[in-house]
This record gives sequence, structure tokens and C-alpha cells, in this order.
Amino acid sequence: MIEITRSTSHVSPTIKVVGLGGAGGNVLDRLVLDGFDAACAVAMNTDVQTLNGSVAGEKVHLGPTTSRGLGSGGDPEVGYAAAEESTDEIVAAISGAQMVFICAGLGGGTGSGAAPLVAHLARKAGAMVIVFVTLPFSFEGKRRNTQAMEALAQIEGQADLVVCFENDRMGESSSPSSGIQQAFVTTDAILSQSIRSIAGLVGQRGWVAVGLDDLAVVLRRQQARALFGYGESEGANRAHEALERALRCPLMDKGRMLAEAQAVLVHVTGGPDLTLNEVSVMMEEFNRHISDGTRINFGVTTDARHGRRLGVSILSSTGDAVVVPQSRPALQKQVVVEKKEAPPAKEQALVFEADQEPEPFEELEEPQPVKAPAKITSQTAPAKAAPAKKEEKAEQMSLEPVNRGRFDKGEPTIVDGEDLDVPTFLRKNLKVK
Amino acid sequence: MAKANIVVGLEIGTSKVCVVVGELKRDGTVQILGVGEAPSVGVRKGEIVDIDNCGKCVREAIADAEDKSDVMIKNVYLGITGAHIRSFNNRGSFTLPDDREKIESADVGRVQEEARTAPIPAHNMFIHTVLQHFYVDGQDGVLNPVGMFGRKLEADFHIVHGVANRIKNSIQCLCDLDIEIEDIVFTPYAAAQAVLDQGQKNIGALMLDIGGGTTGYAMYVKGAIVQSGCVGIGGDHLTNDLSLGLRIPMGKAEMLKIKEGSCVLGNSLPGENVTLRDEHGFAGKEIEREMLNQIIHMRIRETFEFLMRELEKGPYLDYLGAGVVITGGTSALRGIKHLAEDVFQMPVQLCRAQNVSGVASAFENPQYSTAVGLVKYAQATIGDEGGGWLDWFKRWF
Repeated sequence: MIEITRSTSHVSPTIKVVGLGGAGGNVLDRLVLDGFDAACAVAMNTDVQTLNGSVAGEKVHLGPTTSRGLGSGGDPEVGYAAAEESTDEIVAAISGAQMVFICAGLGGGTGSGAAPLVAHLARKAGAMVIVFVTLPFSFEGKRRNTQAMEALAQIEGQADLVVCFENDRMGESSSPSSGIQQAFVTTDAILSQSIRSIAGLVGQRGWVAVGLDDLAVVLRRQQARALFGYGESEGANRAHEALERALRCPLMDKGRMLAEAQAVLVHVTGGPDLTLNEVSVMMEEFNRHISDGTRINFGVTTDARHGRRLGVSILSSTGDAVVVPQSRPALQKQVVVEKKEAPPAKEQALVFEADQEPEPFEELEEPQPVKAPAKITSQTAPAKAAPAKKEEKAEQMSLEPVNRGRFDKGEPTIVDGEDLDVPTFLRKNLKVK
Repeated sequence: MAKANIVVGLEIGTSKVCVVVGELKRDGTVQILGVGEAPSVGVRKGEIVDIDNCGKCVREAIADAEDKSDVMIKNVYLGITGAHIRSFNNRGSFTLPDDREKIESADVGRVQEEARTAPIPAHNMFIHTVLQHFYVDGQDGVLNPVGMFGRKLEADFHIVHGVANRIKNSIQCLCDLDIEIEDIVFTPYAAAQAVLDQGQKNIGALMLDIGGGTTGYAMYVKGAIVQSGCVGIGGDHLTNDLSLGLRIPMGKAEMLKIKEGSCVLGNSLPGENVTLRDEHGFAGKEIEREMLNQIIHMRIRETFEFLMRELEKGPYLDYLGAGVVITGGTSALRGIKHLAEDVFQMPVQLCRAQNVSGVASAFENPQYSTAVGLVKYAQATIGDEGGGWLDWFKRWF
């Protein structure tokens, strides 16, 4: 797959962004309002009213007879049936694109039901498929979470890359007093920015190019939950400011999340006046936030349209992996080699060497223990996967409420990815009586 | 200028602002005339975070010093610190023009200028460019090349630089008070002037200045500074750790640290407790002594180990004949000497300002080492009689 994109990348690939369902549509609107080319945007929904309100250049009404324009009622079955009914329209909408970005909010009906099918159709049409999904807030209930996880498992079988955001994590970023609307707007904005960045970085030829292979390295891991940060600045101190802004993005947790990341993709974009010094200063600063073992995939693109602005996108995924000894190397190898040609079903078989296995794999990916029991009831998932997951979550929990006392608001002293303001005894797990 | 021989060192520290007024004697000694201090507000990890409030503390400290020394303070040497300050060594060289074969004093400046062309981040500024050694046509060990014959003059420099805007904050704080700044000095470099004598510098020594919010280090080998830097960890972190770990207020934690804290483990009896008293003297909370010491021990050990890793990046650790010298407020912590010996694996001594006379409280307290060091730094740079090229050259800062 890598070779193919490279050989065709003399011109920037044609991109289509598909917004599926309500959440996907919102992200798509945000994207277009942020300046993305509306002609590349395709909104798909079962709900005619929502669809009509979209600013996307192209609209596909899914399942006119299945749902009669009323939406899927939160039922993925309906969503899937609707998409199936509109297969021809979907294929027409995405035809000709070399890359298809699909964004959808999982947990509802349309997004969860239709996304796997749309991804499948896009792949069949020969496009590279990157899916951006959000997992529902945990307050949306277990049912939606379960649906989301099922859908995610199916999508991962179809897409080349899945960038998965947890609404819970992103919701934390908005202040407690702000409305729920604010929380959703924040997540839309983050998703929109990440789609633009990824489209930009694989679409442009850079001085230090970043390809899909680099993306794959960063995102392809067992617990792929995306960390994304983007910052932009102009002026004398723009390198520093841009990085600071990128790290201030909610998913970055001021860069603290990066300490655990195993691979990070950093992409710097700037105008013609971008200097090597700025880049090196920025990277030096960035290096303080990651640990020595972290692999950095680095790219630089200059574009006259950027003017004086310097932007930096940081993309990574939480990879504090539960070590899954055998399956992981096999998985990665297969993905890289087989991805493009293998029909999805076969690929799953290859990867997991058993048709039933994708579910347990998915099970392991899910770090939220609340969802585990629901998952077991709904699927054939083996019980042994759940405890492993719980254990992992417990470990994460103990790290979360980090107490920095009087240094809480100050600039952290970060060395080798470790926040030295946090009491040493806490970091070394000394039990205080 | 009548008062040319009176200099003032001002250090805006994390826990206190300290002003030392000193008189430079003709015999090369320094007499301390007075010390003023005020607890500082608006300073975190050695850097100003609230200029207005910090200005008030500085004003207070200066008034205190004026009171005690009977000197009007108009010009000061300002100590600056912060984890953003970095250092490295660089060599500059200058080849003499064909029609000249004698090295002139201006050539030394050219060499320094060349050394300063080393790349530093765009928003950083140079703080020091300290001369280490001269080489004339590759010949080592030249002390003063001016007037010597040679084709090529080279010199090694220790270059200290930091983020310009952060340094400007400190400067602005004093400008607001109508105080002129003679020079800015990286505090570990200043402290080293106060606590290390020439002999120690010659055989190699590491100076650690453990203050309230930062720990600075300066390493000397063969009489020249070779490595220096600053970490944003200090005594405040101990207090913070204790407060969080033992669940007591900051004020109590600070008191506990000073009165009872130690970083030696295994010195207390099993079950031995420290009783925390409230302001009326009533017994409040019982704290296990070993736990108290353990928290302090872990933080200090970690800091030392981190410094050790930092120092191991350079090749100089094996050249420290005089070992480690610790100063600064936190050096008063019990057992810190033993812990440092354990981590650094070399002799350690606790030290305060040396070779000064006058107000005893000034040089007997390791808290004032940096401020006294600023005065000593001034002495070295103003350099009366024997100044020569050094004098001229140091004015470049």
C-alpha cells in the first residue's frame, strides 16, 4: 500500500471526506467552515433534515425507503440497511478519490451501522481509507458504548487506518461550567483539525516527507487511541508558541500524554521563511516531553500559502500496550504487506488466524472497564480478555490524578518525559502511612 | 567616581530577595558592609511570574540593605537563574592578517566574537562568554596572548545563554525601581566565585547551589568553568512533597523540613514519631520520622542522580580533584553531605562564602553565597590594578 501511494503522489491525491450520521456531519460542517474545500466534502445521513442543513458540497441520503428520511433511531442495523440500500449513491459519491476520509461518531445508528460498509465500498473503489471516529461519552450509556465498540471492530477490519478519539477525554478539556454543546463543539474542532492536518501532511510533498507509512507506524497499535495536538503561530517566537499551543491541545494534556507514547509523528508546516533553526529549536523543546525510547517520525512542509504562519501537528496514540506477545508482530506485518489487496474478511483471517478472533482483539483495545461487561454479553468475546483490560485501566487510573501541589499552575519541570514537580515518592510508588 | 569600589549584588531568589553591599578593598579582599533581604513573592523556580509583587519585595530588600550598610543603592549586579538557561563550550579562532604578526588586544575580542557565532536558539540571548584557555598557533597554556607573536589565535569559551524574554523580566523589574543594572550574572557562576577558591578551581571542583526553587551547578576544571546549568528543583519541592505526602499545610511542612528533616535513612528508631504542634503549642499530628526522612531522601537523591546524569554527558567528572562543594539554603539540610557523597562518589563539603570580611552573618550563611558571589564577580570584572586585558575583555559582557 505504501508503494502505491508513493508512486501516485506526484500530484496531491484527490481526497474525499465523508461525514456519516449526525456527529460525522457536524465534523464535516466544521471542516468546511474551517476552510476545507466543500467540493471534497460528502455528507451522508439517514436523516433528511440534518442532511439538508449540512454545508457539504455533496449529499447522499442513505436509505430513502429503509428509514424514510427519519434517521436510524440509534439502531446500527437500520443504519447498515440504509447504507446498503444506497450503495450505488455512495459509490458514485466517492468514486475517483484516491483517499477517502470517513468521519463518524460511533454509538448511534447511522455512524456505527454505515461506516463499515462505506469504508468497505471505498476500499473496493481503490481508495485509501482513513476513518476518524469518536467513541461516545460514557454518560451516553453502556448500550451506545457497546454499539460503538462493535462498529469500531468492524471498521478496523475495513479501513487502512483508524484514528479513534474518545469523547470522554476530549470532554475533559472543556470547563466544567460550559454546556454540553461546548463539549461537542470542542470535539468537532479537534477532529476537524486532525483531518485537515493529516490530509495536508500526506497530500503535500515536503522537504522531509511524511507518508502514510509514518502515520501507520504511529497509529497502528493495539490500543490505538489517538493523541492529537495542533498549534499555529506567527511572529518572532512562533516556533515556541506553535509547539506550546499544540501541546496545550486537550488530548495532549500539556504534553504529559506523550511521555508514554512509543511513536510520535511531528509535522511542521511553514511558509518559505521557515528556518532550520526554528525547526531545531522546536524539536529540541519537543524532545523534552517524550522519553528517550520514543520513535519520532518527523516531517517538514513549506507552502507559500502559509505566509508567516508556522504550524505544528503532533499525532500519536496511547500505546502503553498490554503486551500481546504473538499477535502483534504478525498483525503489523500483515497490515503493511497485505492491506491493499486482501479483501477485508481474508485480512482479518490472516491477522488473527481464526475468523472469530477479531472480537477478542477489539476487546483488548478497549481501555474503559465500564464497557467490558456489556461487551461480553453482546459478543462471543472470551472472558479472559476482560480482566486483562481491567488491570491495565487500574494502572492508568493511579497515574491520572497527579498532584503537583504548589507547582500546579507553573511551568512543569519535565526531564526525560518525567514531571519532576510531582513528588518523587509518588512517582516511585512509596506508600505513605 | 568616589564610590567606585562599592558594589551591590542582588539576587531575586525563589524564597527571598537578597541584596549584599560590599566594598572592594585595594588588597583584593571584599568587605561586606551590609545585607538586606526580604521574602520574595511572585517568583517560581527562580523566575519572575509576577513583576509587580516581585518589585515590591526587591524594593523592600534594597531599602533594608541601604539601612544596614548606609549606602545609597543605584547600581546592582543582578543574578539570574532559571531552567531555561543552557551552556556549552565553543572555540573561536582568528587568523592574523598577513601584514601583522603580533597579537593585539583587539584580536582577543575578535576571537570571542567568533566563538559567539555558535548557533543558539533564535529567541535566546548570550549571558556569559567566559574565557577558558588561549591557544597561539596551536600552543596550549597561553595565559595572555596580547603582545605575543603568532599567526593564529584561538580560545575556548564557556558560553551561557538563556531565553531573552525571561531574562528581560528580571531586568524590567529593576528598571521599574529606577535601579541600574551593571551586569547580569548566571547565579551558579556567581555562587562559584564566592565559595570556590582559586586552588579548588585549579584542581577541579563542582559547585552545587541548592536554593529554594532551583539547583544550579558550575564545574571548574583547570581553573576554568567547563559546565554550568540550572534545574528547576529546590527546597520548595521538598516542602511540597512533605505537604502532599504527610497531608499537612505548606507552612507546617516548611517548618518540619527545617526543624526535623534529614535525608539520612535508618537513623531513627522504629516507630519514632515527630509531633507536629499547632501555633498554641498543642500536640497536633504524629508523623513517623522515618517516613519524613524517606520523602526528603527520595527527592534529594533523585535530584543528585539527575545532576549526575547531566554531568556525565561531559567528560569532566574524572577531573574533580577537590570534589563537590554544596551551598545555598537547602545545603543546611541534615545529612545532605552523606547523601551527596553516596551519589557522586567523591568528597563533598558544605561551604559558604569565602575570603570576605565584614558583616559575619553575610558570609556565614550559605543562603547568601550567591549574592556575595555577585560582589566577588564584580570584583573580578572591575579588576582594579592588575586588570589589563582581562578588565577590558570582561566588559564585553
